[in-house]
Amino acid sequence: MYDLIIFLTLMALGYIFGRIAEARHFKSIMDREKQYQHILTFSERFPPSGVSRVNSELVGGNVVISVDYFKRIVAGLRGIVGGQLTSYESLLERARREAILRMKETAKNMGANMVVNVKLETASISKGKKQQVGSVEVYAYGTALIPKTP
Amino acid sequence: MEYENRTVPEGINVSKENPLKDFFILAFGLGAAVVTLVVVLSFLAGCLVQFVPFETEVMLTEKFSFSEFMESEMHEEKQNEQQKAQQLEEEKKQQKITAYLQNLANQLATAQQLPEGMFITTHYIDTDTVNAFATLGGNIIIFRGLIEKLPNENALAMVMAHEIAHIKHRDPMVAAGRGLTVALALASLTGFGDGQVAQQLLNNVGLITTLSFNRNQEEKADAEALNTLLEYYGHAKGAEVLFEILENEQAGSTPPLFLSTHPLNENRINTIKHYHQQQSPQNELTALPELF
Repeated sequence: MYDLIIFLTLMALGYIFGRIAEARHFKSIMDREKQYQHILTFSERFPPSGVSRVNSELVGGNVVISVDYFKRIVAGLRGIVGGQLTSYESLLERARREAILRMKETAKNMGANMVVNVKLETASISKGKKQQVGSVEVYAYGTALIPKTP
Repeated sequence: MEYENRTVPEGINVSKENPLKDFFILAFGLGAAVVTLVVVLSFLAGCLVQFVPFETEVMLTEKFSFSEFMESEMHEEKQNEQQKAQQLEEEKKQQKITAYLQNLANQLATAQQLPEGMFITTHYIDTDTVNAFATLGGNIIIFRGLIEKLPNENALAMVMAHEIAHIKHRDPMVAAGRGLTVALALASLTGFGDGQVAQQLLNNVGLITTLSFNRNQEEKADAEALNTLLEYYGHAKGAEVLFEILENEQAGSTPPLFLSTHPLNENRINTIKHYHQQQSPQNELTALPELF
């Protein structure tokens, strides 16, 4: 009986705080995406034609986001029957966008106006007992192009 | 070629649907699946377990001593000579009662035509609990509290015949088999069963004394018991007293455990009274011996 109460409390805590954290994070992501929109990012390996006289520098940004208890349980249930793991989709979306934003911020601090050859690496860390995914790490990196001052 | 970063529209990678909906669909769906599984397994176990021989049933309960019911109630104070003598007398009296109950059970078992190889062992428990139950291995446990409430032997015989009927119908084995199967299935489903849990369940099966029977089983046992009384005494008078007592008991603060799944007592009393009308009404009731 006590196990059930603890379980339900954790579920409720996970749900409430998970939802609040997610909503807040998405809002912050959208705001900062607007703020850094002038820094262009491309997955192309080479700079666009016409870009010359630049210094290039490796920039990166990484983020680790933990899944909440509620999402973990939903994902566990989903794992039995299969299907879209919607509870983890938003987690990865947040992580990718946040990592790119952090990379852009680094580039901006270097005075760059463009990052090319952007790549994303995803890793799940802190797999607990029974190989449950605890949190996800996303690393975004690319080549920042910094215009040479004459 | 122009290069630019346009704002990506929201809501492509993340669904707007509330995650609670997903959770409830999954939880209820899987819950329903588990319930179905349990019902099917329990039904199949009930069908199969009847083929387990009675000797196996007895073997399972051999390790368990039913007198443990009493020891918990006994006080462990130091006793002087007088008390020791008193205790000895008590024990003698209890032996007599057990012998009487065993004898009655044997006679009723014969009257009920218990299949060959089956036998009844009665246990008398000296506590106030108003209860009697049948469990695995042909064991019947009767509490002093119940016997004290019974006015005559006929009522006691009704209790006994009812419990013997359960054993004849293999009800305790079916209930235990079902319980064990479901417990094992759930243990392996939830991942708690690393083999040890299963082993423990099997070892402790003899301890299962609070088996619950369903209404159908109870009604069958009642019918069988009435037939037994008819066979043994030549009439079924006195049987309805048992249920009248139990009903009064139920109206009180503590309903006896063994009533929970039993058919409504009023129905049972009516059934028995109806039974009487078919018999000749002038029948003698047999008194209980002085032991009680």
